[in-house]
Amino acid sequence: MDGLKLLLPEFGLSLMALGLMVCDLFFDRRAGKALLALGFVAAGVALGSLGLAYNAPEAYSGLGTLWAVDPMSLFFKAVILATTTFVLMLSIDYKPAAELRHPGSFTALVLFSAVGMMLLVSATDLLLIFLSLELVSICSFILVGFERRDLKSSEGAIKYFLFGSFSSAIFIYGISFLYGALGSTSLLDLRPLLGEGPALMFMVGCILLLVGFGFKVSMVPFHFWVPDAYEGAPIPVTTFLSIAPKAAALGVMVRVFNHLIPHSQLELTGLFSLLAVLTMTVGNLTALFQTNIKRLLAYSSIAQAGYMLIGFVTADAMGREGLILYTFVYVFMNLGAFAVALTLGNEEGYELEAFDGLSQRNLGLALLMTFFMLSLAGIPPLAGFIAKFTLFAAAVKTGHVWLAVAAVLNSVISVYYYMSVVYHMFFKQARTHEPAPTRLFVTGTLAVAAVGVLFIGLYPEPFLAVAHLSAEFLPSAAALP
Amino acid sequence: MTLAHYMTVSGLLFAIGVFGALTRRNIIGILMGIELMFNAANLNLAAFNRFLAPAGVVGSAVTLFTMAVAAAEIVVGLALVMAIYRNMNTVYAEDINLLKG
Repeated sequence: MDGLKLLLPEFGLSLMALGLMVCDLFFDRRAGKALLALGFVAAGVALGSLGLAYNAPEAYSGLGTLWAVDPMSLFFKAVILATTTFVLMLSIDYKPAAELRHPGSFTALVLFSAVGMMLLVSATDLLLIFLSLELVSICSFILVGFERRDLKSSEGAIKYFLFGSFSSAIFIYGISFLYGALGSTSLLDLRPLLGEGPALMFMVGCILLLVGFGFKVSMVPFHFWVPDAYEGAPIPVTTFLSIAPKAAALGVMVRVFNHLIPHSQLELTGLFSLLAVLTMTVGNLTALFQTNIKRLLAYSSIAQAGYMLIGFVTADAMGREGLILYTFVYVFMNLGAFAVALTLGNEEGYELEAFDGLSQRNLGLALLMTFFMLSLAGIPPLAGFIAKFTLFAAAVKTGHVWLAVAAVLNSVISVYYYMSVVYHMFFKQARTHEPAPTRLFVTGTLAVAAVGVLFIGLYPEPFLAVAHLSAEFLPSAAALP
Repeated sequence: MTLAHYMTVSGLLFAIGVFGALTRRNIIGILMGIELMFNAANLNLAAFNRFLAPAGVVGSAVTLFTMAVAAAEIVVGLALVMAIYRNMNTVYAEDINLLKG
């Protein structure tokens, strides 16, 4: 029971979320922004408490019956909380206070979802993985459909829900087979498989589990819900969905498959490399034809997930390091791009025409967007380049040269659609000459994202060191039988 | 009754569920298909617990959790169906096509 104090950030955030839900009943709309700010502060404090762990990692790691708090999970928790903090900041500026509906519930759902993801990345038992995955999914369904009177929002939510619960059902069916093969749901005491039957069940279980995770990380061919859910959702929710659940699902996949791959007779790494190439190619090629910034970023995030899957192919500490660094950089790049889209979106919608002539209306905003687009495309010396370089180098070093070549070719394709946004901003006539609005919290987020992208790009050593430390599991793979 | 019997039934249940979820036009029908898939998993878990690991209760415990989670999920789903019915006056999946994905 002593170890429960390691889960204090989760407990704190859950209590805060429950409190906010109650507050929602008693405060009227004018207090709405205060509730959002309260959630933002709570997430920030939780993030700070994780920061303490980096000074004394031994004191902040431990093993529970269903979970392990180790450098790996601490890193992903930090990423999730940072995203939550910034998304709540963005939602403060999303709408005028008079138009906010149930801000308390909104904040509470974001926080619950964050708690689910934090549990997910530290889970070492299939039961807890399933439960926290469901917590995340159910909260996200509601968040996507939060604008109840908006047709697109409801439609996005119902599509997301149908695909999401379908994948959950496949996931639990897979878990049932793994339980049948192993006789337990814990990942830490896997015993060797005896005989034909268990080996077959294990294989089926692994595949079904991979399908379930594939839906969550928007892996091709399970990506159909992504563009619709992203377009329908209110844009702070889109920002949240495109970063946090993806990072969390990748985090838990790293843990699960690190334990499962040694037992599997099936060539899982080959499957991963195929899926990685498929995901990035389909994502990038479809993104070329998008005219809506939310959909463009949705397909771009599918492609980015494809790059991140390379981390699984190498199946060693180096691949994990690359994946971790990529996730970290991805937070800043995507956050920045979505923050710019949010600034313009309220008045002008989310078609690419909203960006027409932005350089004449607000040069700073246009330059920042260019900056994030270049980083997403992986142009040196920005952070995106360093992240891609680390991942692709890991692939080359383990002999997957063709995978690295495919990834580089894909990055080249992606430059086209990222630059089309830049083209709209600099070479098209502006429809209006009113200066684009600047808002306090959006500007804050943009500043942090820009500094992050530039700093990691120019001076990556400390971040590589952090990634190196975080690639470690607590019950290390070597210690297992 | 052996384990194979239970696994066959659960496999059939799962297949019917997947078929229903993929071919139904009515959203309520799709939800029913998904529910069948959850129940197939439950049956599997309970049977494995009884036949392969009779000493523990892990399988049955997971079953209980799954039932609760599936119920919670369906609640949210029906609420979303209500919202879409109020907006569009339809529960048929092919009429919901504002977004082009």
